Formats: sequence, C-alpha cells, structure tokens
Amino acid sequence: MLQDLINALSLGSIYLLFALGMSLVWGTIGILNFAHGAIFMFAAFASYVIVEQVRLPMLALIVIGALVGAALSVAVQVLAFQPILQRAKDLRSGEMQILIGGIGVAAIPLAVAEEETGSNPFGFSASSYATKTYVLLGFRITNTQILVVAAALLIAVAVIAWLRMSRSGLALRSLGVDPETASLMGVNRRVLGLGSMAVAGALAGFSGVMLTYHLGAITPDSGDTLLIKAFAAVILGGVGSMAGVVVGSYVLALAETIVLTQTSGLWVDAVSFGVILAVLLFKSEGLFGRKEVRRT
Amino acid sequence: MTGEPMTGNRASGAPLLQVRDAAVHFGGVKAVDGLSIELTEGKIFGILGPNGSGKSTLLAAITRFVELTAGALLLDGEEYHTLPAARVARRGVARTFQTVRLLPGLTVEENIRLGADRAGGRGGADGVREAIERTGLNGLERHRPGELSYGVQRRVEIARAIVARPRLLLLDEPTAGMNQSERQEVSALMRELQKEGLTQLIVEHDVQMMVDTCDHLFAMNFGKLIAQGDPAGVVREPAVREAYLGKRWSQHV
Amino acid sequence: MTAWYDSNIILIQSTFVGLLTALSLQVPIRFGVFSFAGVGCYGVGAYTTAIIVIRLGWPAPLAMGAGMLLAAVTGYLLALVLSRLGGLYLGMATIAFDLIVTVVVANGGELTGGPSGLFGAISDVGTVHVALTSLVVVVLLALSERGRFGRRVEAVREDPELAAAMGVEVRYYRQLAFVISALLGACAGGFNVLLRTTIAPTDIGFSLVTLALTMIIVGGSRSWAGAFIGAVIFTWLPSVLEFSGQFQKVIYGVIVALAAIWVPGGLIGVVTDAYRSWQRSRRAAGPGDAGPDDGDRRTASPRAEGTPA
Repeated sequence: MLQDLINALSLGSIYLLFALGMSLVWGTIGILNFAHGAIFMFAAFASYVIVEQVRLPMLALIVIGALVGAALSVAVQVLAFQPILQRAKDLRSGEMQILIGGIGVAAIPLAVAEEETGSNPFGFSASSYATKTYVLLGFRITNTQILVVAAALLIAVAVIAWLRMSRSGLALRSLGVDPETASLMGVNRRVLGLGSMAVAGALAGFSGVMLTYHLGAITPDSGDTLLIKAFAAVILGGVGSMAGVVVGSYVLALAETIVLTQTSGLWVDAVSFGVILAVLLFKSEGLFGRKEVRRT
Repeated sequence: MTGEPMTGNRASGAPLLQVRDAAVHFGGVKAVDGLSIELTEGKIFGILGPNGSGKSTLLAAITRFVELTAGALLLDGEEYHTLPAARVARRGVARTFQTVRLLPGLTVEENIRLGADRAGGRGGADGVREAIERTGLNGLERHRPGELSYGVQRRVEIARAIVARPRLLLLDEPTAGMNQSERQEVSALMRELQKEGLTQLIVEHDVQMMVDTCDHLFAMNFGKLIAQGDPAGVVREPAVREAYLGKRWSQHV
Repeated sequence: MTAWYDSNIILIQSTFVGLLTALSLQVPIRFGVFSFAGVGCYGVGAYTTAIIVIRLGWPAPLAMGAGMLLAAVTGYLLALVLSRLGGLYLGMATIAFDLIVTVVVANGGELTGGPSGLFGAISDVGTVHVALTSLVVVVLLALSERGRFGRRVEAVREDPELAAAMGVEVRYYRQLAFVISALLGACAGGFNVLLRTTIAPTDIGFSLVTLALTMIIVGGSRSWAGAFIGAVIFTWLPSVLEFSGQFQKVIYGVIVALAAIWVPGGLIGVVTDAYRSWQRSRRAAGPGDAGPDDGDRRTASPRAEGTPA
C-alpha cells in the first residue's frame, strides 16, 4: 500500500509540474492553452532526438526540454493567441477562438513527432543517466522519483511564493482578477503574458522529460491525455488557486493509482473524466477556487 | 396592437405589481434595502434617484434577473419571486435594458419579431408592422443594428418590448442617447400606450421628462424609498433634492 | 459520369459522413453551446451499430436507430451534468468525454474488439442512404435557421439573458443542442461503420475532433452551409493535392490555427458579411431609400460589423 503511495506521489509530482504551468496561464492571463500537452510532448521528443545523437546526462535533457518548451510556448502566444485576442470582438468569443486555435496548433508538433517515430514510444535509453533503485524500509524508490517529487514541490512552493510576495507576481494575479483595471494600473499584460507562457512552457518541458524518464518512454499522443488530466487537476483544485493545483494533482494521481491497483488498470485514463464530472456536479469552483460568475 | 392588452385574472382592486420589503444584497452591498412599492394598472410610474441608488437593480429584481435576498414580488396578487425570468416574461412583463441589447445578426424587423415570439407569436405580422410605425422605424426594417444610431437602436428596443402587447412595461433609461425631439416622441408614445391600458414603470435621468410623463413617482436613494407621490411634489421634497438633484435641478423647475 | 462516380464512391460517401460529423459540431455552436461531444457520440453510434449488426444480426436501420438512441440519451445526460459550464470549460469537458469514449472502446475487450476494433459490419447500406439522410437533415436544419425558432436560437447564442427576457427557456434550447449534436454524431458514426464495415479506436480519437473542427472553422459555424463547404473541401482536398499521412495533419492544424486568428467566421461568414455590405451600400445609395419621418434622426454612415463565429 505504501509502495503505491510512493508511486502516486511521484506521478502526482509530474502532473503538478505540468498542471502548474497550465494553471498559471489560465488563472492569470485567462488563456486555456490547448497546445500545452503538445508542447510537453514535443519538448521530450526534442530531447529524445538530441540524446540519440549525443549521449547526455539527465540534467542536460531537462534543460533542453525546458528551453524547447518555453520557446514553443512563447511562439504559440506570439503567433496565435495574441493575434486572436487582438481581433476578438468580446471575451467570450475570444476564449473560444483561443481554444480552437490551441487545438489547431497542437496538431502540428503531434504530427511531426508521429512522423518521426512512427507513433512508437520514444525514450531516453541513450542518456547517460542510470536509474538507481533504493530500498528504504522495504519500499522501493528510484532516484528519478526522488528528483521528481523534490523538484515539483520546490517549484510549486517557489511559484506560489513568487505570486504572493513579489511585485510581478502581484501584477500577474491582478490580471487574473480584473485585466482592464490591472492594465490601467500599469500592469503590462503583454510582457507578463509572454513571461508566464514561457514559464509554463518550461515547466511543461521539464515535466515531459521527467515523465519520459519515469515511465521509460512516452508516445506522441501522451500529451493529449495528460492535458485532460491537468484540466481535471486544475478543476479539482479550483481555477486560479495554485495551492489547489498542488492538491488536485496529488489527489488525481492517488485516485489513478488506486484504480490501477484495484482494477486491471485499463480504466486509469477514465479517472480524470470522473473527477471532472464529480467536481462539476458537486462543487464547480473546485476545492479552493474563486466562485466565478460564469454567464451561460 | 390597438385594443385590449393582455389582462390577467385577479381580484379587482389588487395592484398589478407589488414589491414587498424587497432586499437585494450583494455581499455587503445593499443595492435594494427594504423597499415596498405598488403599481396600479393603467398608470405610468417613474423611479427617480442618483446613480447607485438601486433603480436598475430593482428593475432587474422585478424581472427576475437578480435574486431577492428578502421580501416578495407579486403579480396580480400572486407571489412570483421564485419563478425563472423567462416565465415572468411570458406572463406579459416586458422590459428594455440600460444598454441596448439587440441581436447584431438580425435585421430591425427580425429583432422586433423576437419580441412578438415571446407571446407565442401573438401580435403576428400586424403587430410587428404596428410596432414599427408607432416607434417611427418605417423604412429601417431591413437595416441591422450596427448601422443605426444609438437613439434609433433604443427605439427598436422599445418596439420589441411593446409588440407582444405586454401588461407591464419596464423601461430602463429609454431615452439615453436621444435628442430632445426623440424624447418627446417617447413620452408621447408612452401616453398613447397608457390610453390602451398598458402599465409602465420608467427609470430615467431626465427629470423633466419624468415629471411630464409620469402619474406617480418613486424616489430612491441607497436602495430605499425616500419619497413617492405626485411627480411635481416629489421633486420638490427636500430629501429628494438633497439626494439627487443638487444644483442642476434648479434649471428644470 | 458513372465512371467518375464509381471511382470516387469512397470520397462521395466520406463527404456525406463528414457533413454529418461536422454538423454535430456546428449545430451546438450555433446554439452557443461549445460542445465537442458529437464526436464522442460518433463513436457511441459507430460501435453500437457495429456491435448490433455483427453480434445480433439486426438490420441496419434498427442498429443505427439503437446507436442514435443511446447517443441521444448520453447527450441529454451530458447536457444536464454540464449545464453550468460555458465557453472553454464546456469545450474541455466535452473533449474529455470524447477521449473517454476512446478509452472505453479500446478497453472493451471482446465486445468492442479492443485496440484493433471491430470488422465485418456488413449490410446493404449504400451511398443513396447516406445521401438521402444528409439531405433530410440539411433541409430540417435549414428550416430551423429561419423564422421563430431561428431567431430564438440566435438570441440563446448571442445574449442568453435577453433570450430569457423574451420568454425563451434557454436551458431547454441548450439541452436540445446537446441531443441534436448526439443524434447527428451517432448517425455519422453509424453510417461510416456500415459503409466501411470496420471501426477502430483510432478512427474516433482526437484526430476526428480536429477534422470536424477544421471543417467548421474554415467552412463557417453559423450555418449548415459552412459544415457542407468544410466537408467538401476537407474530404476532397487530400486527394486533389495528394497529401497523405502526417503532413496532412500538419496542414490541417495550421489551417485551423490560421482560421481561428484571421477568419473566425469561416468562408460562410466572409460571404455573408460581403453580401450584407453589398445590401447596405445598395440601400444607402438608392433613391427609394425611405427614412423615418424625421431625417436628422438617422445616422449618416453605416458602421462596419464583424460577424465572427
């Protein structure tokens, strides 16, 4: 049982890294980036391509993944989302166009990766990193898992602290509450938008590399399922709440691990939908979310 | 459209609309605070008050777009404050909005027809024709709202509100954006509608127009009723002048 | 003529199936309901139809009917559960539904044929059937875009509060949108499985959502005509330009993104806007242009209007 908890902890940490970026962008500049999953996957893919050529340690791959993720994320923002928002006639149709634009953009890295890998899984077996397993009190834990959990918690705490205590963090939060007033107060939506997209992309890339190490390999469509899981984690925790994302990610991972061990594991991916449904049915603002008045 | 408006069954003598101790609180803000008014059938009522006095919130509450925190609303002596807005609309309560809300993809005529649809299409083609003529929109049927001036758009809203022969018409600042002659037209139209038995409640900033048009005036401030009665008398009451009128009023009296 | 028909029969059938699939997305969008659940219902319809035909041996219409009924019930339940959501929340939740359907059928073991899917759904359903059904559907939808119903749907989409003030029960209209979307999706899926005789989880995954979305975005989401244009273009484009495989998906992705940025109303939107501009300029220039009694109340210049999706 405790072994499962350890596994759930590391899985939740990966979800957290991915969902943190998504929630950061969503809760502040109001963009639900549907290409986030594709960015996650493609950053890992880019690392894969490079490591097949050059035998690199994990740290290098993480850096590459984060950089690729950040770059892609910023590109999407500049090339797609900003123009859409500039042209949108109102917030509601702008949101939908962003969702659609994100779906369209997401197809591109997916197709490239599928073409190169033939839809087969790809991993970092060519990396110089070696997974070591430790046995503590009868439980197995790998160095990868330790790294993931530590990184996720540290980064989550750092992001939350930065949002709460720094000036730019405050500026970002004010955008989430009232963009118009915020920009009147001199908050530079554009710069902050790019910055948060870059951070989100870097986090996605980081988690992409970590998940690949953790699972051994991922497939090009891993990004899509992860997107739904992140959505579930954010919804469960409550949109706009970073603490919520932390709780949501771990609860989701725990639920999935339980389902994995109790059933034959085929239904794991369906857990996230169940979570989404449950939250929407019973407490639509999630555990820690703001009560948002969403007009039909 | 001329002829009988939709009349309901009720004990004779009961007012058409009653608001009883209504309160609408948004968290700490008391937009409407223990207000009671009565609208008797066939008269024109007005609500006067400064910005933020709760006039529009009251209208929203009456049309069920906002929940009452406390109190009751009665139509024909029957409580209706738990009914959904669409149901209340179908009972013959029509309104115009503070900001013009026309559908941009439909023509003027189609926008007005939308109002006729409310009563199950009662009024028909003739009703629409008549509403267009009464609001002076002849020749603009095929135009789209985006091509029209603000004042004309407001007239389309009014046409849409009256086309299904409502029993109660609520007008939320209908003459904003209109020039003087347009305002007089609206005032004249309201008088005509009154002769046909329509009960009206108007929220306006144009005090003179209210004094000229209304039979009975309510004055609000901070969500409370501070005065009511004959319009000329109400506007002279000290509490009302203090709350709302200030220096500008002296130009109107 | 018949030679062309025979050699392109697959494409012709795919166009109709594509039209129905695209409509399953277009109709709810027209109601202002941003639901992708029609694609999931495509899967429900396809698999139900296939299972019934293969295992129970029922005739095709009954099998498809069962699939559509099951989908309609699912659609209605979704409508109830997701009623509080709007905009992108609803979009994401319905995409989650679509993916779940994929997971369910991939893990359905013997019943759904697992990852390799089902084959052998043989019937005598042909082009005529899918074409006629599409025609009936289009006529019904075209009618629904007019008159009282059309106006009310417009209100429900553009300004639900106003719709309520007009006596419209917005809830019911949105539920209707879900159910219609489910029926159309299941119809498309049912026809596809009977025409192709096979179905697999990869047929109904995210790529189908993207394809249907591409058709709507480029064709235009305001009217059934947009779905039609989109279906024709994106069924025939690959063969005309000889794209294949992954490159096609990249192109589609780029097109969707570009359309979302630049042409949100789609081709139909462009045409409609142009037509209306032309109408306006005719009105402004014409001598018979009657204004209301008081000339100075009218505005001088027409304002441009944009009609994005």
